[in-house]
Amino acid sequence: MSRFGPLDASIVGLYLLGTMFAGLAVRRYVGKVEHFLLAGREMGVHLGIASLAATEFGIVTCMYTAQNGFDKGFAGATPGILQAVAMLVVGLTGFGIGPLRKAGVTTLPELLDRRFGPRVRWAAGVVIVLGGLLNMGVFLRTGGEFLLQVTGAGGAGGGWAQAHLLEIAMTALLLLVAVYTILGGMLSVLVTDFLQFVVMSAGLIVVTVLILHRIGWGALVDAVQRHHGAGGFNPLANPTMGWPYLLFNACLQLAAVLTWQTAVQRVLAARDVRAGRAIYTGTSFFFTARFLIPGIWGIAALAVLGPRTDSLHAMPEFLATFVPAGLMGLLIAAMLAADMSTDSSYMLTWAGVIWNDILRPLHRGLWSEKRGLRWNRFTVAGIGLFLLLYGLWYPLKGDLWTYLGVTGTIYLASMSTLLVACCYWRGANATGAVAAIWAGAVIPVAYLVLEQVPATTAFARETIGPYWSGIAAYAGAALAMYLGSKVGARRAAREVPA
Amino acid sequence: MNVHGQPFWWLLTAACLVWYSTITIYVAVRGLRDIRGMLKRLKDGQDDETN
Repeated sequence: MSRFGPLDASIVGLYLLGTMFAGLAVRRYVGKVEHFLLAGREMGVHLGIASLAATEFGIVTCMYTAQNGFDKGFAGATPGILQAVAMLVVGLTGFGIGPLRKAGVTTLPELLDRRFGPRVRWAAGVVIVLGGLLNMGVFLRTGGEFLLQVTGAGGAGGGWAQAHLLEIAMTALLLLVAVYTILGGMLSVLVTDFLQFVVMSAGLIVVTVLILHRIGWGALVDAVQRHHGAGGFNPLANPTMGWPYLLFNACLQLAAVLTWQTAVQRVLAARDVRAGRAIYTGTSFFFTARFLIPGIWGIAALAVLGPRTDSLHAMPEFLATFVPAGLMGLLIAAMLAADMSTDSSYMLTWAGVIWNDILRPLHRGLWSEKRGLRWNRFTVAGIGLFLLLYGLWYPLKGDLWTYLGVTGTIYLASMSTLLVACCYWRGANATGAVAAIWAGAVIPVAYLVLEQVPATTAFARETIGPYWSGIAAYAGAALAMYLGSKVGARRAAREVPA
Repeated sequence: MNVHGQPFWWLLTAACLVWYSTITIYVAVRGLRDIRGMLKRLKDGQDDETN
C-alpha cells in the first residue's frame, strides 16, 4: 500500500505550478530561431550544469539504473563511472566538443556538412532523429509505470478512466511540457531545467540518505554478496559483464559524450568554448551518481523484497512502501522533474535537428525568423504527438535494455566516428562518411534481426552476444570510414584531369 | 565507520552524496545568477534591435 497522501499531492501540485509559471514567464524573450533552439547562445556554466544533469536523468534512467543495481549489484554502476571518466576527459581536453562549439553551428550534422557536404548532413540528421526518437519512444510509458506504482494509483477495477490512468496521466504531463517547450523553446527548457534540477536532486539525495539510514550499508552489501557474490562488486568477476561489457560500454559512453545531441546542445548553447568545456567537466561526476544512486535504490529493493524475475519494477514497488508520507511528495515531484526536463529537452533537440538539417533542402536558411519559429514550434508539437501515439498508446514489446542499446548504437557508432574524422583526420571524405553511417546502422540492426529469427536466436545470443555486436558496430563504423575514404580519395584522383 | 569490506564502493557512494549535495546548493545559487544575466543580455539585444 502506497503512502501517497494529501500533503504529498500538495507538494506535487506546488511543483507543477512553479514549473509552468517559470516555463511560460520567459517566452517573451524568444524572437529568433536561435533563441528558440539555443537560447541565443547566452547560457552560463552553472545553468548549463543544471540543465545537462536534469536532461540526462529521467524516470527511465532511474528505472534501468535501479534495475542494474538489482541485477548486478554495485558493479551495475560501472557504465556511470565510465561515462563520468569520458565526460571529464572530453571536458578537460575539449576533444571533439571544442571544434564543434568553435564552429558556431546549431547541430552536429551542420558541422559535418562543412566537411562532407549536404548529403551527409541530411543522412546524419535522419539517423540522429530516428535513433533519438525511437530511443525516446519508451520514456513516457516507463515513467508512467513508475509513477502509478509508487503512488499506488494504478490497479484493476473502476471504469475506462481507471483502466487507462497511465495513458491519461502521462498525456496530461506531456501536454504541460509541450506547452512551455513550444512557447519558450530552449529558454523555457533551461529555466525549468534549473528548477527541476534542484527539486530532482533534493529528492534523490534525501531518499538515498533515508535508505542508508534505515536499511544500512551493511545490509546492502550483504544482499549483494548473498545474491551476486564477488560479481556484485567487480564487473570482471560478474558472469553477465566481463571485458566485452566494459569495452562496449566504454565505446558507448564516449560516443554518447561526444555526439548525443541533447548533451552536445548544451555545449552549443554555451557562451563560448571554455564555458562548454566547463559544463562537461563540472557535470562529469554527476554521471557516476546517475548510476550509483538509483543503483542503491535497486540494491535496497533486492535486500527488502528478495530476488524476482521482474527486476525493472522492483525498485518502484519497494519505494511505494518504504518512503513515508510527506517525503513521498518530494519523491514524486523529483521524479516528475526528472521526467519533464528530459522530455522537454529531447523534444526540442530532435526538433532542432529536423529543422536545421532534415528540412534544410526545403527552407535553405532563407525563411523569415517568424516562419522558422512557427515551423520549429509545429515540429515540437509533432514530436509530442509521435511520443503519445508510439510510446504511450501503442505499448512496446520486448526488452527495454536491448531496445535502448540498439537504437542508441545505430546513431552513436557512426556519428562519433564522423565527428572524430571530421575534426582530426584530413584524409576523411564523404564516401567514408556514408560508409560509416551504413556500417554503424547495419551491424546492430543485423544483430537484432538474428536475435529475433528463431533459427538464429541461439547463435546471436550465445555465440555473438550483445556486447560483441556493439563493439563490432563501433569498430565497423571506424573501419568503414577509413576504407571508404581511401576509395573516395582514389576515385577523386582518377577524376582529376592530368 | 564500518565499510563492510567494500571501501571502494563505500567511498564512491559517500563521494557521490557529498559532491551531489554540494553541487546542488552551489548550482542553485550560481545558476539563478546565470538566468538573470542571460535574460538581461537577451532583453538588451531585443532593445538594440528595436532602436
